[in-house]
Amino acid sequence: MTTHQLSSVADPPGPAADGGRTRSAERPRTTMAARRHRAFYLFTSPWIIGFTLLTIAPMAFALWLSFTTYDGISPHWHLVGLGNYRELAGDPQTWKALGRAGLFAVVSVPLSIIAGLALAVLVNRPIRGRGLFRTLLYLPAVVPPVGAGIAFKNLFDQNSGAVNGVWTSFGFDAIGWLADPYARYVLVMTVLWAAGNVMIISLAGLQDVPRELHEAARLDGASAWRTFRGITVPLLSPVLLFQTVTGVIASVQTIMPMLLAPVPGTSGLTTIPQSDYTYMIHVFSEYFALGRYGYASALLWVLFVLILVATGLIFRFTSGVVFYNVDPEANP
Amino acid sequence: MTTTGLEPTSQGRVRVRADRLVLYTALVVITGLFLGPFGWLVLTGLKDQGELAAAPVHWLPAHVEWHNFADAYRLVDFLGYARNSLIIAMIYATLVTLSSAWVGFGFARLTAPGKKTLFGVLVGSMMLPQMITLLPTYLIFAKLGMVDTYWPWVLWGLASAPYLVFLFRQFFAGLPRELEEAAIVDGCGYAGMFWRIFLPQSWPVLSASFVIAFTWTWGDYIAPQLLLSTDRSTLAVAVMTRYVNSAGTPVANLQAAASVMYVVPILLVFLVAQRGFVAGMSTSGLK
Repeated sequence: MTTHQLSSVADPPGPAADGGRTRSAERPRTTMAARRHRAFYLFTSPWIIGFTLLTIAPMAFALWLSFTTYDGISPHWHLVGLGNYRELAGDPQTWKALGRAGLFAVVSVPLSIIAGLALAVLVNRPIRGRGLFRTLLYLPAVVPPVGAGIAFKNLFDQNSGAVNGVWTSFGFDAIGWLADPYARYVLVMTVLWAAGNVMIISLAGLQDVPRELHEAARLDGASAWRTFRGITVPLLSPVLLFQTVTGVIASVQTIMPMLLAPVPGTSGLTTIPQSDYTYMIHVFSEYFALGRYGYASALLWVLFVLILVATGLIFRFTSGVVFYNVDPEANP
Repeated sequence: MTTTGLEPTSQGRVRVRADRLVLYTALVVITGLFLGPFGWLVLTGLKDQGELAAAPVHWLPAHVEWHNFADAYRLVDFLGYARNSLIIAMIYATLVTLSSAWVGFGFARLTAPGKKTLFGVLVGSMMLPQMITLLPTYLIFAKLGMVDTYWPWVLWGLASAPYLVFLFRQFFAGLPRELEEAAIVDGCGYAGMFWRIFLPQSWPVLSASFVIAFTWTWGDYIAPQLLLSTDRSTLAVAVMTRYVNSAGTPVANLQAAASVMYVVPILLVFLVAQRGFVAGMSTSGLK
């Protein structure tokens, strides 16, 4: 969804209707319109100013830094042009970190969407206590990242964790889940734990699926799976697209590896296992462990552009698949 | 799941019952798995330090160490950190709710050249990766001497948040036009119209917005970690980084107890606000 779909509801039947069409011959109406225009900018100014100062300006500042050797301390920084970009392109660490972030997104986003959708279908069945199940399944999504990180550290602890408790009771040796190469699986599981997010949003979509469609499919003798694939999924596709885009953006910038590290926080960046060392963690390390603000800003801008490109590609490749249930007759 | 125990009064009924049994079993097992990590956190918080090193794993604490919670509370200035979290979350949630309502009213009820473009930028900006803007923002705040103050949260609050603006816009756009006419008859300007007529109508969105913003701030780890010194920092940072022994290794049971005390208030807020939350989500158009 986003702009495209929203534009169909963007203009409410409010004063917008006559905006801009006022004839200049009528003085009082012009001043009315001018007043309204001024009021619009007065009302939206907090966001316009805030967005300019707190989003555009920092990004512009980062872009400028990315052409320098600035480190926050040394007064002898200088411009290096595209030097930082050349360095990062030539550093295998950049590509490995990028690959890990990409792999994490490609694995965790579809899994959490499938899990969330499955949960939504389960708790959408007319059974007793489904409200309770919904609440309990959504609850982990409310737990803040710090709580989730500590919970998973304890759950997967090599000695005192419940997972190894079960694992060793089958006669296997205890596994260091939070170290290489297993840390990445724990990272994916922290995302799956919050699948209630996808569930609750899909649930709202499921309830919009017209009943008659299901009835018709049933009368035609369609199996439950066919009904799901042929009716439910297409009608939910805008929701699923939205989940995919936000999921990819969230997974690329996750700081969960920092919360799962043996020494938590920015001071423990070097203790993060290799398999959890994603691109964002690489950026943080360059910023805070090494203080290379210029180089880290270049890394940041590359990630920013990559996210924009990835989002654009997702929208492009799904434009033929995503089905917007907009009835031109019903929605003026 | 077998159906052998059921009387085969009619085949259909048995199938429905068996279906239901499978569904319930699946739901109970899945719910158990989802609550497991939190349950284990509570159990860890109730164990003795020595028990955590024991092999094989002690499933339940040999002796329930309730005093871990009191110890976790005393080991660091828990109340002080909780107060910092509360102050920051209140400042941000109050300001961002009011500013977002104000901006949302503009987008819903007023018009001017460029409105469509601005709205497109607003919606697009919801998808901007915030972690990316945070790092250079941190450098700028450091330059302006705003590190270790609560000013960043004031500024972020005044700037409004695109997602909340969108919620308010959807709500205000759905109100009848007569409300505006009533305001004009009363001689209100747009500010008066917003403040006296539209804002009081929007209490479901106001409360949902406040809860959402409060939860964001309470749960945020990275901004306070970067912007605030140890003493002025929030509970999230303290729970993550302060429960360590002299060697720097986390004291697992006290940290677990502390994180339970950190998480539970948010879960309670959610459970209380749940109705409004879900309603707010389904009317937001974001589904």
